[in-house]
Amino acid sequence: MSNTSLNRRAFLGTTAAAVTAYAADMTGLNVLSQPALAAELKKKDKRVILLWLAGGASQLETFDPKPGRPTGGPYRAIQTAVPGVEISELMPKMATRMKQTAIIRSLNTKIADHGGGATMMHLGRRDEPSVRFPDLGAVVARELGSADSKVPDYVSFYTQTEGRGSGTAQTGGFLGARFAPMYLTDKSTPPYLSRVESITDIDHQQRAELRDLLSKRFARAHETQSVGSHNQAYARVRGLMSSEKLFDIEQEPQSIRDKYGPTQFAQQALVARRLIEAGTPFVKVSRAWWDSHGENFETHLELVTELDHVMSTLIDDLKDRGLLESTLIVTLSEFGRTPRINQGLGRDHFASAWSTSLTGCGVNGGSVYGKSDADGNTVADGEIGASRLFSTIYQAIGIDPYKEYHVGPRPVPLVDNHADPVYEVLV
Amino acid sequence: MRWNGSPVLPGSWFVRVVWVALLSFGASLPVSAADLLPADRPVAEVIDHYIDATLAKAKITAAPSANDENLVRRVMLDLVGRIPTPVERREFVDSKATDKLPQLVDRLLKSPEFVDHQVNEFDWMLMQGSGNLRDYLTTAFREGRTWEQMFRELLLADEVDPKAKPPIDFVKTRVKDLDRLTNDVSSLFFGVNISCAQCHDHPLAKDWKQDHFYGLKSFVSRTYENGGFIGEKDYGLVSYLTPKGEQRQAKLMFLSGKLIDEPEKAEPDNKAKKAEQDELKKRADKKEPPPKPSFSRRAKLVEVALQPEERHFLARSIVNRIWARLIGYGLVMPVDQMHSGNPASHPELLDWLARDMAHSHFDLGRLMRGIVLSRTYARSSRWESSARPDAALFAVAQVRPLTPYQYGAALKLATTDPDMWKTLKSADDVAKRASDTARAGRSWASLFQPVSDNFQVSVSESLMMANDTRVMSEFLGDGGNQLVGRLKAIDNAEQQVECAVSTVLGRLPEAEERQAITGYLLSRKDRSIDALRQVVWSLITGSEFRFNY
Repeated sequence: MSNTSLNRRAFLGTTAAAVTAYAADMTGLNVLSQPALAAELKKKDKRVILLWLAGGASQLETFDPKPGRPTGGPYRAIQTAVPGVEISELMPKMATRMKQTAIIRSLNTKIADHGGGATMMHLGRRDEPSVRFPDLGAVVARELGSADSKVPDYVSFYTQTEGRGSGTAQTGGFLGARFAPMYLTDKSTPPYLSRVESITDIDHQQRAELRDLLSKRFARAHETQSVGSHNQAYARVRGLMSSEKLFDIEQEPQSIRDKYGPTQFAQQALVARRLIEAGTPFVKVSRAWWDSHGENFETHLELVTELDHVMSTLIDDLKDRGLLESTLIVTLSEFGRTPRINQGLGRDHFASAWSTSLTGCGVNGGSVYGKSDADGNTVADGEIGASRLFSTIYQAIGIDPYKEYHVGPRPVPLVDNHADPVYEVLV
Repeated sequence: MRWNGSPVLPGSWFVRVVWVALLSFGASLPVSAADLLPADRPVAEVIDHYIDATLAKAKITAAPSANDENLVRRVMLDLVGRIPTPVERREFVDSKATDKLPQLVDRLLKSPEFVDHQVNEFDWMLMQGSGNLRDYLTTAFREGRTWEQMFRELLLADEVDPKAKPPIDFVKTRVKDLDRLTNDVSSLFFGVNISCAQCHDHPLAKDWKQDHFYGLKSFVSRTYENGGFIGEKDYGLVSYLTPKGEQRQAKLMFLSGKLIDEPEKAEPDNKAKKAEQDELKKRADKKEPPPKPSFSRRAKLVEVALQPEERHFLARSIVNRIWARLIGYGLVMPVDQMHSGNPASHPELLDWLARDMAHSHFDLGRLMRGIVLSRTYARSSRWESSARPDAALFAVAQVRPLTPYQYGAALKLATTDPDMWKTLKSADDVAKRASDTARAGRSWASLFQPVSDNFQVSVSESLMMANDTRVMSEFLGDGGNQLVGRLKAIDNAEQQVECAVSTVLGRLPEAEERQAITGYLLSRKDRSIDALRQVVWSLITGSEFRFNY
């Protein structure tokens, strides 16, 4: 990168006055490399856990019930700890914890197929063929992680049903492979974190030191970003290996494990908490498969009950550890479900008026933003799309939502169209 | 430690765009032919002429030439996708012939391995891993087809060989998303990513308006798939909304702004459309292709793009892409942003090469030969005294990550017993065996990160290389045909070091390396074979091996 900064200096030296018009862009650009500001962000140690409800959870059976309406289904709404705010009776535990959670009931994201919806809700924008956008986790890892982190900075538990998620996420998009997630599909640890038996620990370490010595000779005469990333990737190996125990919930006291319970979703949430605690800025935990085209109410009885338990346990656990203030829990799907109940007692894909919730860091707990109409068919008030949700998330964790990256000459705002945060749900 | 600068390559391109916005709009338009060097000069000479002129103006002394060991590795990686065997390297380095490089290059260009490597490269460029054109590309490169032919066939040829997947798969894999098809055609063949202009006029390039995007889309908008075949309707127009909400009908217009006349064709009525649907269904059931249109807009696109006034789009784009691949940095960067707001670093050179490309009917081998025989290509990649000069000056060779195929092939070749090659009877036998070995190594390709702008190695690679048992068995085994097997038969640490370094890195170890590695081995006499494995591991995971430099 040194040639780049040299060019920029030389350039600014001669024509600084002429580029005033571009100053805004330059600022956005330089935020990335300003150590002071970056360190400021780092100090705050903000974290994100994304609870991803793959397949599309129903807003009517979670955060936006419509009891007594033709679209309401069999479940009641219950009063929460926040006067006037009701959620589905399937979430009694969350109802008592509503003071930490904000609900948004007015998402209209337009894309109602699984792939397109999931991509949009990971990227915060419509995908484009011309730009490989990073997803939420990659951006958070980039903005809140540190370069030589000994813990992974983006861990993604995905489910076999949903697949590995959007194609761009696998590579970190234009931010590069450094920010690609470490993928796990079940509760075991990521691959290659443990040493093979045929090499001793000391040899494993000294072999790496020999490699480093030989590679550095090459790197000295070839100082480029790619070569740097290669040596950095190897430099992180030993540290990451030492993070293996973070994935092992046996390390937790039995009392904590009992609180979370035996389901895979719960155990992964516990691993997420362990990672967050150790400094991982972004963990995605997935629960599938919410796609209840038939028997919506039975499906949701099971899945929402589990979600209610896992989410509230996670909130309590983070709170007990003093981590809730710095950790944002986002509960999100690719879309919601139709208010109309189909012949198979199912609900279908629906992206026109659905809900999400934000808990913890930076969130104005107990607030509700936006409204769907009486039957839940359209947004009645406060319509937002994916971009404003992402803007809100970034704002909550102290990332400037108006920041821009540059891909070649093209400025790419972190948030599509520089959309504003929903300040109503933020403190 | 904090991030080292921005990850998103803001600097030099950004600076250039601003620069251009201020000073030189329109500079990327083709320079008048009269101002260019004569057409009959050798390609390599023309390249060096223009590159040297800019360096002289910038008062920068270019890096010296790379040494022979370095050069033979680079040329073989670039033309045949693998590192040389010790025998091939020795032969090149020891040769006293003054024309040994052109000899090597001409031999490589004719080799089957050249075909294999071009197939890998072009397949990745055109398909990026979603679907593949390998069958077609193999035929095309084996028969030495020109880029002009390939362009035509990729867009039009629905069947070349009944047993092989047809080139039209390029279209077929994209036909469900016509915006993507439009943009991919534009960006891959014409070097112009116009997706920005889909929703609004391009903010940075005054050349690209919405009219251009939808004009180009009009050429492919009638294309559809039916029963596994690509067909094209006789009717149908593209309309779009301007940012102000005004509805417009797209004209059939090429990127140059050239408008195309076409026969009038009214939209059929519903009854006719129903009949058409029934006919299509019947054909699909019978596995027959749909009827041909009376006027094919897609064929018209190919025709227009190859006309003398328009073909510079196709020519400049392929020249720039091949240049970027072989040199590591395009004359225009990014390679899909060739517009007046983002001119070439060496506009005359690009124009000369594009003119040569068009005159040669788009002969790819000719361009590749010219580039790799230039002094510009042959420079050393080492630069230590000061910050590396701007890549766009081409003062020093770029360090390029190996592609997944190259890295897989190199891993397998470098960890093969180096003495085995000496037992083979002829140079052809060596090439044949090397080709097979490289192919075996390429099965590892999916485990490595594809090359992209702003390439970074991820920890998934380093963790795998560090802790995967398959790496141990595949590359670090001590069997009779493996490098570690050879090393363990040598009874002296100094010689082991020499053999290991020269086999993996293709050069002799330097003093510091000798000392470090010998020390490593001597302190592990109780587990000497393990120690050898570890030494080889440290070499094959090292940056010198991981990159083409």
